Amino acid sequence: MLLDIQEMCGTRLGPGTLYGAISRLERDGLIEPLKADDRRQPYRLTAEGRHVLRAKLATLYQFARAGLRKLEA
Amino acid sequence: MRVHLARRLASLYPASWRARYGDEFAAFLEDHPATPSAILDIIGSAMLEQLRAARDFHMDSRQRTLVLMAFAYLAAVAAGVNFYWTVNDTPLAAVMQSRVLLATSFRAVALGSLAAFAAVITIALPVTSWIGLEAFRTRRWRTVGRIFVPFGAALIVVIWLIAGSMATGRHWVATPWDVTGDWPAPVEWPPLSIRWTMSSVTFVLLVCGLLSSAVAASQVVRESDLSRYRGIWFRSTSMALAISILVMTAGVAGWGWFAQQYAAGDFHSRNGGLFNSTNIASWAASCLVFAGASLTSCLAVRSQRRTSSPSKLAG
Repeated sequence: MLLDIQEMCGTRLGPGTLYGAISRLERDGLIEPLKADDRRQPYRLTAEGRHVLRAKLATLYQFARAGLRKLEA
Repeated sequence: MRVHLARRLASLYPASWRARYGDEFAAFLEDHPATPSAILDIIGSAMLEQLRAARDFHMDSRQRTLVLMAFAYLAAVAAGVNFYWTVNDTPLAAVMQSRVLLATSFRAVALGSLAAFAAVITIALPVTSWIGLEAFRTRRWRTVGRIFVPFGAALIVVIWLIAGSMATGRHWVATPWDVTGDWPAPVEWPPLSIRWTMSSVTFVLLVCGLLSSAVAASQVVRESDLSRYRGIWFRSTSMALAISILVMTAGVAGWGWFAQQYAAGDFHSRNGGLFNSTNIASWAASCLVFAGASLTSCLAVRSQRRTSSPSKLAG
């Protein structure tokens, strides 16, 4: 998971920060644990999490598009 | 990361968090390199989780009062120690000999500190003894250990100061108020870099000792049933502590005002402040912490008053 985040964002999270985020997201009902795979504990988005993520990404997309438009003007 | 270290780091998190994530987090850490940044990241996150758990934990009014009293008293101790060492052995102490108002303000702080100690001992001694005996009888060794945290922290600081003094030929004690300043350091003292390092260690030990004592005290109180004690105990001692801390705060604030009037030059010089700060800056830091302690002690009183008010009881 840490490597995925590093690949996507270019930032390597510390283990404490990662589990802080996981516990917060699970508490808010945005992710849920799947059956443990040996020593790995996978998580997946809940329906609510998918909805929230879609809204966030749409906002980011609009923000990036408006910014790029301003830069090119 | 070694299994033992991973388990040890996971144990820093609150019990409720460990019950859900403890095993998978420890397993995750075992596959993670034990770099200093990773360890610091875990310690910081564990502290945040502890704060969150403390906020979510439900306490009754007696427990809340005792926890607030512990935090207020320890903050007042920190502010008082800083104030005392800022003034001690400086020209400002000499000015107090000739200025009655300055000396009176200082005595008000001293009197307040004695009254605060008396208030804390009055409630802490019987409550802690009973909690300790109960924990010992029921073999709750973790609680017994937590009761001794403040004594252990104080012992560590004292041992460090004695060892430091002996290592420097008994010429200098490693306090953060005696590092350097507008005065020539005696030739027998260790070099400046050593003084900075050793006094920084003392400062860290003091801060960690006070914080760990406050956390341990609140954990012990939270785990204990205090219903066998009458509410008057908590009302009277929290009131006494709040008044004592308010007297100390007023004394420190007044002392600064008079120091500015009678000895502005010495007040603005660097001969007693924390880590080579000016005396006025060190005094201001004490004022700030005393203000926080006053507020916390007033919250402790309010916590009891709210429970005992007729409308609350009727509701």
